[in-house]
Amino acid sequence: MTAMGSTEDILRVVEKLVLEIAGDELLLTGPMTLQTSFNTDLELESIEFVALAEKLQQHYGAGVDFVGWISKKELDQIIGLTVGELVEFISSCRT
Amino acid sequence: MADVVANGVRLHVQRIGAVGAPRTVVFIHGLVMDNLSSFYFTLANPIGEFAEAVLYDLRGHGLSERPTTGYAVATLVADLAALLDALGVAHPVALVGNSFGGLLALAFAAAHPGRVERVALVDAHDGTAGWAAQMAGTLGLRGEARDTKIGESFQAWLGRHSERKRTRLAAAAEALVDGTSLVADLRASPAMTAAELARIACPVLALYGERSDVRERGEELARILPACTLHVLPGCSHSVLWEATAEVKARVTEFLRGQLGERASGRPDGDPVRDER
Repeated sequence: MTAMGSTEDILRVVEKLVLEIAGDELLLTGPMTLQTSFNTDLELESIEFVALAEKLQQHYGAGVDFVGWISKKELDQIIGLTVGELVEFISSCRT
Repeated sequence: MADVVANGVRLHVQRIGAVGAPRTVVFIHGLVMDNLSSFYFTLANPIGEFAEAVLYDLRGHGLSERPTTGYAVATLVADLAALLDALGVAHPVALVGNSFGGLLALAFAAAHPGRVERVALVDAHDGTAGWAAQMAGTLGLRGEARDTKIGESFQAWLGRHSERKRTRLAAAAEALVDGTSLVADLRASPAMTAAELARIACPVLALYGERSDVRERGEELARILPACTLHVLPGCSHSVLWEATAEVKARVTEFLRGQLGERASGRPDGDPVRDER
């Protein structure tokens, strides 16, 4: 379990984990921002999203229930998800 | 725990819900263009509220290892048996299979009747005669015909894909179809007989799309299996999981949750055996 930190800290963690998963394949020009879209900008595949969820859980601990959060969303919402929404969710899990 | 070595192959596994819960539900995805994420984003979490959901990428798919050989139905069934052993799951499990994953669920239930308490099928192939040739024909497509087929798959797969992502996925599919013995192994897999299917005594829920090209397989299963409840989902194609996600989620959850403690009774669930609308 790692301390949540600021929005900027969380953003950099998400960026690092996404890079670990997608590596050079990732379509990312410039640093990741809160407006970056997972689908349109990063073109993360759904199986890579699963891998990201697992890495987030490992990093932040079970208190960040990414699967529970994502499963309550409609498919269109998942497709349209931005990095900012994810960062906000992680931040809200702060205990 | 993401990676488990089973039957000599590294498989990508996700466990959702109460690990060690008395009930285990194993999800089996479809062939080539599919992986565990389709269940991860739809059924796994609601099921995880009352059971442990186990999702895995079949060999050659998703984030699992892609060996060049070993894609016969019997081998894939052995992979699942070895996976359950590796996870320490000794009690009978429920299986949920989409498309080819449903075929594997039936094949596993036929091969290991003591390990399966019930089966939910989502527009499943049934493994009877002609199945392998039909599927191999589709997978063996080349050039424009294959591009068209891939395009059709993607329309249903999480809505939309950019050209770049489609190219990446197509490359992965091509590596599996052209770089492994998958097509030859499936062609060589013996068909299941009606007598084999008839011995699957556990309750089976069969969900099929009204416009699906395998809908008649569901109707045939409802006739052959001793305890099969068929629901035909109006207006749906083979991509039932995406086209009617809410209804599939509701029906599968009800089917799996409603029968706590009642295992392999051989009785159909409440509804008459055939429930076509």
